[in-house]
Amino acid sequence: MAKRDVPRRRKRPAATSHQHGKRRCLHILRELSAYIDDELSGDICQEIRRHLGACPNCEIFVASLRQTVSLCRHSQAPALSSADRAQMREKILETARAQ
Amino acid sequence: MYRFANRLCGETEAAKDLVQETFLNAYRGFKTFRGDAQISTWLYTIAARTCLRMRRRRKGAPERELSLDEFIPTSEGEFRLQIPVDGLSPEEALQNKELRQALDAAIDKLPEKYKMVLVLRDMEGLGAKEVGAIMGLNERAVKSRLHRARLFVRRELSARGITDAHDHERLT
Repeated sequence: MAKRDVPRRRKRPAATSHQHGKRRCLHILRELSAYIDDELSGDICQEIRRHLGACPNCEIFVASLRQTVSLCRHSQAPALSSADRAQMREKILETARAQ
Repeated sequence: MYRFANRLCGETEAAKDLVQETFLNAYRGFKTFRGDAQISTWLYTIAARTCLRMRRRRKGAPERELSLDEFIPTSEGEFRLQIPVDGLSPEEALQNKELRQALDAAIDKLPEKYKMVLVLRDMEGLGAKEVGAIMGLNERAVKSRLHRARLFVRRELSARGITDAHDHERLT
């Protein structure tokens, strides 16, 4: 019996690789800060969400950008000691009086 | 004001100088304050200008422009660079000294005009409009600089291989 010529199934790309043109990703990357800051219209947000759902690379990229922003927002700047503050105030007043 | 100065200058003495200069300039220019803006916006504006002037005095080299293209990942690996904060709140993540230092270093490495936008917007929490008023830019320019600055910091943080050190720290 002749073997049936079963059409070969095309291997599905791994979930992590790109399944669309890179141009789409580049377009999305340009908008990501505005997306994170919620400054885009509903239509564009939806389009980006759809893309992120289908593109693991961009999803990871946006997550890392979001984390960057979040780290910046929570980063603490060192405070000035009260002695330093008093000394600085004195210096400013002294220079101002001399003018 | 010192917090802002410290974030811009990245070191204590320069930050103190900036605060001092800012308040002296504010004192000298108080007559010109019309009350149109909040006093904090006015002080931020003076501090930003003073900082740029002090920087120009220190180094003569022109500032580098950040092009968006330089942040476009060219490989899958670059796309997938991650920052080691998974599952941690930002406060918890920032307890990692190496991550904190990497963040400070990345911000410090930013060209001044990008750094200023990032500091004012993401660290001081000001709106794009106010940042624009302080820096004499329109909102579009503020957003464009902010995006580039964030991409720069993201790349610096994810490219420094903090992940391994962080995992190691958590495991031991």
